[in-house]
Amino acid sequence: MNASPEFASGFSPSTAETAPRVNLPFEFRGSGAEYFRIWIVNLLLTIVTLGIYSAWAKVRRMRYFYGNTILDGHGFEYHAKPIQILKGRLIIFAAYVVFLIVIRAVPMLAILALPLAIVGVPWIIVKARTFQMRVTSYRNLRFNFHGDYGGAMSAFVGWYFVTAITLGILFPLWLHKRVSYTLGHGAYGKTQFRFVTPSGRFFAFCYATAAMSALAYALFFYVLFKSGALNPDPEAVPATPLDLARTLGVTGFAMLLAIAAAGMGIWGYYQSRFANASFGGLEIGNARVVSNQQAGALAWIEITNLLGMVCTLGLFYPWAKVRKARYMLQQTSLDTAGGLAEFQAAQNEAGEALGEELGEFFDVDFGI
Amino acid sequence: MIAGRYFDGTSSKGAAASLALGADGIARVHGLHHKVEAPFGEIEISERVGNIARRLAFPGGGVFESTENDAIDEALAHNRIKARAGWVHRLESRWRLVLGALVAVALLSFAFVQWGVPALANQVARMLPTEVDRRIGMGTLETFDRLMFEPSRLPAGKRASLERRFREMTGSLDDGHVYRLEFRRSEAIGPNAFALPSGIVVVTDELVDMSKVDDEVIAVLAHEIGHVRGRHALRQMLQAAGVSALAVALLGDLSSISGILSAAPALLTAKQSRDFEREADTFAKQWLRDHDVAESNFDAILCRMSGEKGRSNEAVDFFASHPATAERARCTDVN
Repeated sequence: MNASPEFASGFSPSTAETAPRVNLPFEFRGSGAEYFRIWIVNLLLTIVTLGIYSAWAKVRRMRYFYGNTILDGHGFEYHAKPIQILKGRLIIFAAYVVFLIVIRAVPMLAILALPLAIVGVPWIIVKARTFQMRVTSYRNLRFNFHGDYGGAMSAFVGWYFVTAITLGILFPLWLHKRVSYTLGHGAYGKTQFRFVTPSGRFFAFCYATAAMSALAYALFFYVLFKSGALNPDPEAVPATPLDLARTLGVTGFAMLLAIAAAGMGIWGYYQSRFANASFGGLEIGNARVVSNQQAGALAWIEITNLLGMVCTLGLFYPWAKVRKARYMLQQTSLDTAGGLAEFQAAQNEAGEALGEELGEFFDVDFGI
Repeated sequence: MIAGRYFDGTSSKGAAASLALGADGIARVHGLHHKVEAPFGEIEISERVGNIARRLAFPGGGVFESTENDAIDEALAHNRIKARAGWVHRLESRWRLVLGALVAVALLSFAFVQWGVPALANQVARMLPTEVDRRIGMGTLETFDRLMFEPSRLPAGKRASLERRFREMTGSLDDGHVYRLEFRRSEAIGPNAFALPSGIVVVTDELVDMSKVDDEVIAVLAHEIGHVRGRHALRQMLQAAGVSALAVALLGDLSSISGILSAAPALLTAKQSRDFEREADTFAKQWLRDHDVAESNFDAILCRMSGEKGRSNEAVDFFASHPATAERARCTDVN
């Protein structure tokens, strides 16, 4: 085999440089109506089994979204076993009950909760991330995660304290460390992911978000003060919503609406830039992920999803999820040299065998 | 013959292949580079979900993948192979059954919020010591003092006589709560009284001024004691938590939206708050009967209080925290 250290997946560096760029788009093939049917049936089964079926429902939901995520003609597959998930949930529940009983019996032990969390959280992150990656496959090749405990401790806990000491100024660096740890230690088959976004991009969009938020808040309070809704004299503060509306007037109300819309826009800006900087910094073998989410489009989807949910008492939920997934995947593609390369399976990988060893791991959906 | 793609598991490179389930109980995959076969029983066939690609995992680690779900289901049925969770897919693919499930979910959720949550909250409250109530109410009076209360200007004698009767009322209750009566003046609130979960009952000067006899104030105090005794603040918090938990369970993972929906309990619990008012009314009336105080005192003061407030806020009655006065008291002799 011709595997050089940088290209473990078995294609030569020379082809990577000379081959024409081929862009492979991601695509979401699910539909809101179809997902609605799956969602509501599994909801009913969950309720009538007093929650036990929720583990089976989760697997069906995940399989629906993974399976409809299409790249180069093939979907992803989610392999977690419902029993594993149920076991994991029972373990968490039991641990919580034991914790409550111990705290009740010996309240002094509560001071151990924080150190225990500091030691335990990185461990849970490694286990959960490993589980999430290993139960995912594409073209019958599993994903994997090679992050270790020390790395998680440093990225999630160590840098948290650095951020706290510097009064949040270094928050973007903390975020960068976490994303870099979580994405950079992934692997597809035996090909390791690389995370290449420099921390500067994180500083740029985090600081821009902070500046825009500060401006929006300042404007918000300015309008309230100006209209008398926030009068320093307590006697003059409007008592009822009707009085408040009268004080604000049409202009004030319109301005508040505009500020709310701007707030959603800022949220969309942060989410889209975060996704673009995170996923867009991922390289696998000869491929590079391209993420091109737009602030306005994302904010619009979120606002209309929210309205849809409110107007339908939540029944719009499946459509909301599908719309969001569809947009996010639409804006994501894989930039490759001469098409998707052939990736090799990891040495120890033998079909389904890996999945069964994972019973001890629980599925915690960890945000970065 | 079912068309699909075969991945042998050693690399991501697959090849077009076709699958046939033979009458001899052997499944065969034929491809350009592959020829794989295994007895039905040794193949793991993934459950059907919507129309995502089906996976047939062969013993050696190879997988045959195909989106021809209907053909696969048909072939499985033809060979009497039971498709896993096939019944769930059948439920999911018929709109009539789905609508039935929708109605059932709606009814069950409603029943849970209406009866399940209050009953559960009541059970949990019973298990918690009254210390919890005290913690909830801690600091509340200080906050109100800063925001809207002034010291009482009632004559000391009036306050002393009401306090004496309040002590008589609460001394024999023996329910773990520590009761205390406080007088405050507040133009913003007007004639009113309320109870803090810590056992402090606050009555405004305006209410005492409005009363014609002390027994009317006593009737209101009995109602407030009913709130403390019934641990309504704690139960309300537990109920809100229960409804939020339901919302999260139903709409699990769309974070920003479930955040908005966590405000919904405030509306849903308005009805439960009215139930608490009724419970406190019942307690007050029972107490009045037991202690030979005329129930008419309760009706009289309540009617006068609602008359003072006027009818300006009838429109918000749907979300109102209190039941309509007409339901709570007979206002024949208003004012």
